[in-house]
Amino acid sequence: MPLERKVLSENDRLAAELRAEFAKQGVRALNLISSPGSGKTALLERTLAAFDPGKRVAVLTGDIQTDADARRLQRYGFPVRQITTAGACHLDARMVTKALEGWDLAQLDLLFIENVGNLVCPTSYDLGEAAKIVLLSVPEGEEKPLKYPGIFFKSKLMVLTKIDLLPYVPFRLEEAIANARSVQPGIEILQVSTTSGEGLGAWMDWVQRR
Amino acid sequence: MHELGIANSILEAVQTELRLHPGASAVKIGVNVGPLAGVERDSLAFCFEAITQGTPFAGLVLDLREGAADELQLSYLELEEPTHDDDHHRAVGAQGPERERSPGC
Repeated sequence: MPLERKVLSENDRLAAELRAEFAKQGVRALNLISSPGSGKTALLERTLAAFDPGKRVAVLTGDIQTDADARRLQRYGFPVRQITTAGACHLDARMVTKALEGWDLAQLDLLFIENVGNLVCPTSYDLGEAAKIVLLSVPEGEEKPLKYPGIFFKSKLMVLTKIDLLPYVPFRLEEAIANARSVQPGIEILQVSTTSGEGLGAWMDWVQRR
Repeated sequence: MHELGIANSILEAVQTELRLHPGASAVKIGVNVGPLAGVERDSLAFCFEAITQGTPFAGLVLDLREGAADELQLSYLELEEPTHDDDHHRAVGAQGPERERSPGC
């Protein structure tokens, strides 16, 4: 007998509830995905540091273990919660729903969800976000969009991070961009360095776009 | 990596269907996996076998088919309906114990 429904239909159902709630409360939720060490937390640190204290922004940060990222991000004075997955290599919609308990979404305009560092597993799990954002750091190599096409296919934006390292590593920038566009022609691309600050202005504009 | 979580979701879907068909047993479950789904088929097959082994679902065939783009979709479920002279002792039991949800990796 035919079934014709998604394997992760339960996750999708919860994600749809989250998406409806975000829409109702006017929250733009962004799901940041990359390999470990690509600079998700560093980018969020620079982002939070650039906001006025009155900015209605919050962060959920996912890791398999430790609350180190939450502690790094809490210094900027905005609400931050750690989701510790205890083994799971991705966040799912249920974890996000649970982590948001007690927060008044009406007080927020922007919610960053920093996924567990992994280019594969988070791809399949909708978190109700407005957009997935994939980070690719220069030292990782330009072939990553071809090796992990799923996440580049599903992301609205690719952020090339650590571009201050371009002179020192054999990274072919044009090829990285071409590779991402071969997987998804419409993907938007930004280049940033949290060390030099290059490209952060365009990034700030992008995340605050309505 | 997350294929264990996916395998669990597939098995949960089978259990849900079986509750709608009392007495029937599941023989084969078809799943479409697209090349951009981020799911490794061999790993999914391995995980599915691992979680069904030693349970009433041992022997339930997972039929992985090529899907489109990022498709990750249940396609069909083959059931064996109970008959009068066969108490389906060979087939996969519908009354399997509820499985604990495993962590996703």
